[in-house]
Amino acid sequence: MDDLNQYQPFEVDQHLTAHGNYWAGRAGSRFYRALRDRRRILGSPCRNCRKVFWPPRSICTFCFSELREMVEIGPLGTVETFTLVTYAEPVHPRPAPFIYAVIRLDGADTGMAHFLDEVEYERVHVGMRVRPVFAPQRKGNILDILYFKPL
Amino acid sequence: MKRNVAIVGGGQTYHRARRHDVDQAEMVNEAVRAALKDAGMTMDEMDMVVLGNMEFFEGTHMTDCWLVHATGAYGRQGLKITTGGTVGATVVCAGAHLVASGLCDRVLCIGFEKQEEGDTGAILSGVANPLWGRSMAGAAVGYFAMMGSSYMAAWGAKEEHSAMVAVKARQNARKNKYAHLKLDITVEDVLNSRMLAWPIRMLDMCPASNGACAVILADDKTAKDRCRKPVWIRAMETAHNEQFELDWRDVKTKRPIFSKVCAGRIYGRLGVSDPKTYFDVFEIYEPATWAELVWYEDLGLCGPGEGFRLIEEGKTNIDGPIPVNPSGGVLSTNCIGASAMLRVWEAALQIRGDAGGHQVPKEVRRALTTAYGGTNWTVMIALSGALDD
Amino acid sequence: MTARETEWISIPMTVDVPYRFAAGRYLTKTLTQLRDNGRIFAVECPRCRRIQLPPRIVCAQCHVRNGRWVELPLEGTLVAFTIMFLPLTDPTTGKPHEPPFVYGSVRLDGCDSVLDHLIHAEPDRGKVWVGMRCRVVLRPPGERVGDLSDIVHFEPLPDQSRPGS
Ligand SMILES: [Zn+2]
Ligand SMILES: [Zn+2]
Repeated sequence: MDDLNQYQPFEVDQHLTAHGNYWAGRAGSRFYRALRDRRRILGSPCRNCRKVFWPPRSICTFCFSELREMVEIGPLGTVETFTLVTYAEPVHPRPAPFIYAVIRLDGADTGMAHFLDEVEYERVHVGMRVRPVFAPQRKGNILDILYFKPL
Repeated sequence: MKRNVAIVGGGQTYHRARRHDVDQAEMVNEAVRAALKDAGMTMDEMDMVVLGNMEFFEGTHMTDCWLVHATGAYGRQGLKITTGGTVGATVVCAGAHLVASGLCDRVLCIGFEKQEEGDTGAILSGVANPLWGRSMAGAAVGYFAMMGSSYMAAWGAKEEHSAMVAVKARQNARKNKYAHLKLDITVEDVLNSRMLAWPIRMLDMCPASNGACAVILADDKTAKDRCRKPVWIRAMETAHNEQFELDWRDVKTKRPIFSKVCAGRIYGRLGVSDPKTYFDVFEIYEPATWAELVWYEDLGLCGPGEGFRLIEEGKTNIDGPIPVNPSGGVLSTNCIGASAMLRVWEAALQIRGDAGGHQVPKEVRRALTTAYGGTNWTVMIALSGALDD
Repeated sequence: MTARETEWISIPMTVDVPYRFAAGRYLTKTLTQLRDNGRIFAVECPRCRRIQLPPRIVCAQCHVRNGRWVELPLEGTLVAFTIMFLPLTDPTTGKPHEPPFVYGSVRLDGCDSVLDHLIHAEPDRGKVWVGMRCRVVLRPPGERVGDLSDIVHFEPLPDQSRPGS
């Protein structure tokens, strides 16, 4: 229908807001309680695969066996990869710029993504040894570790 | 089908309003382990894992990645499917396609929902067109309420009839150890429950449940070698409504409605002339009481306007001639992504004779299951205990 | 186990998803006419002759392009309704519709589709019925924005009574 061209195309900006509450479950709750109450970082070992997983889980990703045990990992760790975030996004937990790193805690076979502070970006390198700085008031979430910093 | 497809095992969680003791992975894993145990198989024997849930209903996207350890999909083929309330049945369909085509011999199918974690109202509003209907979205309650008012106006049914459906569902649920709402209620209790949207009261609606279901599909050879009581998928059909033409609430409409169209197709495939005698049990998707009465008619278990007579005469009771939802149905347990798969699994249990407390007290050879996707489409699956039946 | 060991941890979260929705050429015409002129336009399928609202480019049933535009009268018939006792939130504004209110499906005269909206009638099931005649109440011209909220509600036509009453 040719007469459709006389209309200015209609577009609207809207948004959907969804609230939720994520339950950490068996392994997750144990991890967050240890972090909050004792400043301990826990991982899940699979004796079968000789791997220690972080984040902790109740099932081994590789061999499907049930994992009931948990072991302390870290608190020291090694930077495996990193970046400098220079753009802002509403979903970012803090304003840019900040250094974001994947840190393999001692004793773990997988990395934890977290902030790296108290260091010049130019000085950061893969293999850098770091330690966590814990929040004085801890609430049972991953920001109970405020950030990591170089040894 | 090119190759026959059997359900060789299955399992489910205990369905509850609250599951704070598990994360989504731990909950899903309960159903997966139950299914493997039931089948007497290990994860290594699965060729593929197909997972489904209602998109973002637990506030997480890409649940196939989140749950890869719990579903067992790591290191093997995996698919994720999201089709609204139908999804549990869609996952079974996809699994059956994989086996029937010869691409896989054994497929693990999983459906789940942890409803308490997300914002189902907000996410459901995304179903409506942002410029034509979203501001007026009536939620599931509103749609089923209109179905009820239309049904009463058309056929002279009373609110007591929908209450009878509510009572049947919850009394059946009391016999099902996995069900969520096991309520010892009467018609008066239903009529006295809080009005949500006339004529729908609190007890006319399904609960918001947390839970998971898993079934294992296999080819002929696996079924015959490994399974004592295979249940065969004999036919599958789907049908969609036309978008915006929500005439399904106008129960007298002459327009093609997905439920009737789909039933006609699946009966055609199987050569069914009288579904109420051909099938021994039905597991249907009824999030609200009125939907069950409309299903009776759309499935041809009775004539138009006679659905409320069936419930009134007790025909669809667990010990009646046309048992419908002996498990307690969606009205008693609605972990959405699992709900349509629970219909299939419960029907399979009936054919195996393994339903336990809610086993139908007669020989069950054939069963029919349905699903709802929004209120716009359905998946139907017909099962039998013998391939030559 | 101690209470401490069985304390389950949860993390609240809010996700806000902005989006831009394009109506397309067919719905654009209907929304523009509704906003600027208070008129409602639908399209007719050349094959099955069904008049479809909102208008869409293809008839889903016939798989042919819908062509002829039809202006609909602002009156119709209630085909289904409910009396809502829940404070339903309008997801586009975040504001609730205050219960109880009547919510229903109206078929505008000559149209094959139905339209879900508020019905401005007493929330009393003796005073609303399937088959009730209603008309569209529009926002004043300057206040219309070009979506379904340009219709305030449907109101019952005067001088009718429920059949059998
Ligand atoms: Zn392992
Ligand atoms: Zn057409």
